Amino acid sequence: MIKLFSLKQQKKDEEGSARAGGSQKKASAAQLRITKDLNELNLPKTCSTEFPDPDDLLNFKLIICPDEGFYRGGRFVFSFKVGPNYPHEPPKVKCETSVYHPNIDLEGNVCLNILREDWKPVLTVNSIVYGLQYLFLEPNPEDPLNKEAADELQSNRRLFEQHVQRAMRGGYVGTSYFERCLK
Amino acid sequence: MASGEIENSDYQQKRWHNIRKLLERSGPFCHPDFEPSAEILDYIMNSCKVLIVGAGGLGCELLKDLALMGFKKLHVVDMDTIELSNLNRQFLFRKNDIGLSKAKCAVEFVNKRIPGCEAIAHHCPIQDLDDGFYRQFHIVVCGLDSIVARRWLNGMLMSLLQYNDDRSLDQSSVIPLVDGGTEGFKGNARVILPGMSACIECTLDLYPPQKTFPLCTIANTPRLPEHCVEYVKVLQWCKENPWGPNTGLDGDDPQHVAWVHEKAQERAMKYGIANVTYQLTQGVLKNIIPAVASTNAAIAAACATEVFKLASSCCANMNNYMVLNMSDGVYSYTFSAEKRLECVACSNTTRVLEIEPDATLQVIYDKLCEDNGYLMKSPGITTVINGRNKTLYMASIKSIEEKTKDNLKRRITELGLYNGVDLLVADVTTPNTITIKLKFSDSIDIDMSR
Amino acid sequence: MASPSPKSPEQNEKSKQYDRQLRLWGDHGQSALENGHICLINATALGTEILKSIVLPGVGAITIVDENITSDEDFGCNFFLETSSKGLNRGSETLRLLLELNDAVQGHSVQEPPDQILKDNPDFFKSFNTVIATSLNEKLIKDLSQHLWDLNIPFILCRSVGFLGSFRIQFKEHAIIETHPDNERVDLRLDVPFPILSQYFDSINISTLDLKDHGHIPWIVILYKAVQQWQITNPDRWPMSRKEKNEIKEIIQQYIRIDENGVPITEENFEEAKRAVNTALLPTFLPVKIQDLIYSSAAINLTKDSSAFWIMCSALRGFVEAEGKGKLPVTGVLPDMTASTEHYVKLQNIYRCQAAADAEIVYRKVQQIVSQLQCDTMSDTEVKLFCRHAHDLHLIKGSNIALEYQPGGPVASYIARHLEEPDVMMVHYILLRAADMFRSEHCRAPGEWEPESDIAKLKNCVSKILTDVSCSPFPKDDHIHEMCRYGGAEIHSVSAFLGGCVAHEAIKLVTNQYNPVNNTFVYDGASTNSATFTF
Repeated sequence: MIKLFSLKQQKKDEEGSARAGGSQKKASAAQLRITKDLNELNLPKTCSTEFPDPDDLLNFKLIICPDEGFYRGGRFVFSFKVGPNYPHEPPKVKCETSVYHPNIDLEGNVCLNILREDWKPVLTVNSIVYGLQYLFLEPNPEDPLNKEAADELQSNRRLFEQHVQRAMRGGYVGTSYFERCLK
Repeated sequence: MASGEIENSDYQQKRWHNIRKLLERSGPFCHPDFEPSAEILDYIMNSCKVLIVGAGGLGCELLKDLALMGFKKLHVVDMDTIELSNLNRQFLFRKNDIGLSKAKCAVEFVNKRIPGCEAIAHHCPIQDLDDGFYRQFHIVVCGLDSIVARRWLNGMLMSLLQYNDDRSLDQSSVIPLVDGGTEGFKGNARVILPGMSACIECTLDLYPPQKTFPLCTIANTPRLPEHCVEYVKVLQWCKENPWGPNTGLDGDDPQHVAWVHEKAQERAMKYGIANVTYQLTQGVLKNIIPAVASTNAAIAAACATEVFKLASSCCANMNNYMVLNMSDGVYSYTFSAEKRLECVACSNTTRVLEIEPDATLQVIYDKLCEDNGYLMKSPGITTVINGRNKTLYMASIKSIEEKTKDNLKRRITELGLYNGVDLLVADVTTPNTITIKLKFSDSIDIDMSR
Repeated sequence: MASPSPKSPEQNEKSKQYDRQLRLWGDHGQSALENGHICLINATALGTEILKSIVLPGVGAITIVDENITSDEDFGCNFFLETSSKGLNRGSETLRLLLELNDAVQGHSVQEPPDQILKDNPDFFKSFNTVIATSLNEKLIKDLSQHLWDLNIPFILCRSVGFLGSFRIQFKEHAIIETHPDNERVDLRLDVPFPILSQYFDSINISTLDLKDHGHIPWIVILYKAVQQWQITNPDRWPMSRKEKNEIKEIIQQYIRIDENGVPITEENFEEAKRAVNTALLPTFLPVKIQDLIYSSAAINLTKDSSAFWIMCSALRGFVEAEGKGKLPVTGVLPDMTASTEHYVKLQNIYRCQAAADAEIVYRKVQQIVSQLQCDTMSDTEVKLFCRHAHDLHLIKGSNIALEYQPGGPVASYIARHLEEPDVMMVHYILLRAADMFRSEHCRAPGEWEPESDIAKLKNCVSKILTDVSCSPFPKDDHIHEMCRYGGAEIHSVSAFLGGCVAHEAIKLVTNQYNPVNNTFVYDGASTNSATFTF
């Protein structure tokens, strides 16, 4: 049992005088956790990170350059925004490169289960990186965000491959224009 | 009634007749250390400062409960203003009060109703108040609906802990946190003794994650009315930007809600999905949690009872987490949530590293890798200076390593580090980022509380 | 840029004010509450805390019966009194301040003593949906509870002393249609598919679906097909055992397609089907609880005074025996599952249509009964709601509070059993009862003046109650001593806790939703413990 009545009576009376002076603002639990996540980040060789402001560990970019699969030779940039409720809530991740991909739409929304419904606090930035990398190796037509691309992947892989190539070189697929993103 | 009469001690004696029986009499179940006396009531009324965080459903109840348990030195903090939908449970507010500060309104009402109550309102976010503010309280009791705010408050109270030279906790620095939460007919109340018992961060798993749907379901195979609303919220809004690209979706703006409702209905119609109502749209957009007066009353009262026990020691506190479910009968269960040894918040006891004031960051880095107490592999070092995070060195991230490697050669004072500053160090050898306080070797006195 | 002007209707003022609770009990629950009239006897802190949480959500009316004059002690723990209330009637003062909380609520104050009302105007209580009383003396407890039992008006008797509190709900019976169970069993009829459902199942051939559709058929279809295939080798049987269920899982596994490298493609709907094997293959049956209800004499021997609930139970029996072929009406609820919109919506409509058709049959039966009995009719929405929740109907048979005071009866042995366990919460109940007895014998609370000297006297009261229930005396006096320490004090936060709970129970009774406590709740704020006893 903690006896506030006897423990605290004196201390609080002196409040104000004893603790004057500047104080150091404490790091939040989210900050402590992301520091840990990043210090242990173990990137696959196809990935790199960019921190526009090295003091701001909550906002950064991930660059994926796949070396196999449909998207070999491309360079895809994702932005990560880690909020104050991390890791209770996942980071917000968007794809900044326009890409013809069944699971990424033209606004850069990414359909990856651990970014939404399957996120758990035990997961880390590393888990997301591997999830994203996998999306480029194995695009999943079952869970489409770009329905056209998904249908095409299922019905005509060769055509899909051609369209991915065209998009990465820069050009139109259907009515959508894609910026060049080859390395 | 004349004010002189209110001060009249006979009146006071009678008025607090009920609680005085608990405070001035001993019972067979009291802790052996409990010494009944009239001073306890005096302490509760005139010394004990309690901070009530939130002036909503729980906060209004807490303020009333504590004022009627003798507490006078009450502070209330809440950044919100009163809305019509609050009035079904936040009983200190009337229709005329809509738009006013919750904290101010609540305090004004209770000070008027209960003679002698000296509650003070703070109409601001909890993050705007500094450690000096929080340190003045004996007890903090919180009725919040936000997990982020709870975690912040938890972190704040942890940061106020002081440790003795032998790294044992100085109990006088402990500010107990009593926390309540409700959702519909369910709720919980708990007592946290920072540094001593399970904290918010220890039990983060107890908070259910927010309900989310797979993005592809929302985009392509909607089945529920919620899927249609989420589609408009997550995908359609930023595509169409109905109020221009700079206006984000605001669930409190009835025009926005109406727009989303209309678009969600269109989508639902297209897919043959029924029941996209305005109420449902609003519920999904604002993530509305049902709330009713009765649950709030019960949970707040359980919290107030614990505050009273903490302040008076007239009875042992609950140990330490109670869940209440009133949807099938009334059921309560009290259990002891366990303190997690690797908790990022409450097991992060500060360690001290002694260093020459003219040393470079490299010296610190080497000490962390070579000193027997640490033996780290690749420590990432950050700090907070003037409220801003600063990354001092981190080898694992190439882009940061490049931008921070020069720091290693620089003197720590050049980097803005001072005697008593906290370093946050992450390494594979520790389960969490740890806090290390620098102690300059030529300086003798160092305020360990900061 | 011009502002868009969406046409969606805004909610009206009332639905905005009550939004957070309408999400729990709906518009129909709210209108039941708004038609409710609650009577409180004695506006103690506990009493007003109860009313507070009934007035805020918008009950129709409250009546406070209180003869007492406001004292200094009252201010110390009752929020709904102000300094100017001193010397005035406590009931009318608290009423005035309570009504400020919600201008939609009507209020009345009666200053006559309740025992007088009982004598002079016993019909007074007839107009209430529920009567709640706090701080009653032992004699009044017995008289009032008997009277309300005879009138068939629900009664909640409440106590709050020191850290202890309790409430006891008395009614003859209480029927709940919407119990809001946490885990509702899904009603899929896979073993007895109704015609439109079988037609739909038969229209799908898993092996010929294209790959995209294959990944988007609902798991319900997959499970049904797997069982059908299993039944080829197990004719006229239904998979029940773990072994048989595993066989079903294997069949489902065979349905999963493989890619060009021979690796099975992960399809979420097939994973869901495998997971559902253990839960969704439970055969459709008439729950015993519901069978008991529809064959109880109240449902069979209807009179024109029979309640809507029993008339609907009777109609339901008619359905079960005829059209339902032994089963209840289809609930029409389909859980969310991985599926294309088209498949899902189609399947959902099939279940909904059948539910509507079944409910329509029950409604026609209700109309028949109503016209035979020449009693009040009920709406089809009411009957639909009843059918939707037919699997979870709940009836609580209540008991008379007077039974607790009867030596040697079944309640006495129930109490004795708990005391022997030993259950400390039952000890608290005995002490609350003993404190009542003490008060009627000594005209004050135990320990009101001085705790130690009352211990022996209170022990005497405890012994009398223990003798009535044929129990040996408590080995130690500690709980008796603690009750004397309380000295009859009403602690605000303990009353506020109970107030929240009791208000909640009253709302459950008035709205006929959610199961109320059956029938006694005991709370100990010192140990933060509670228990429910069924006397």
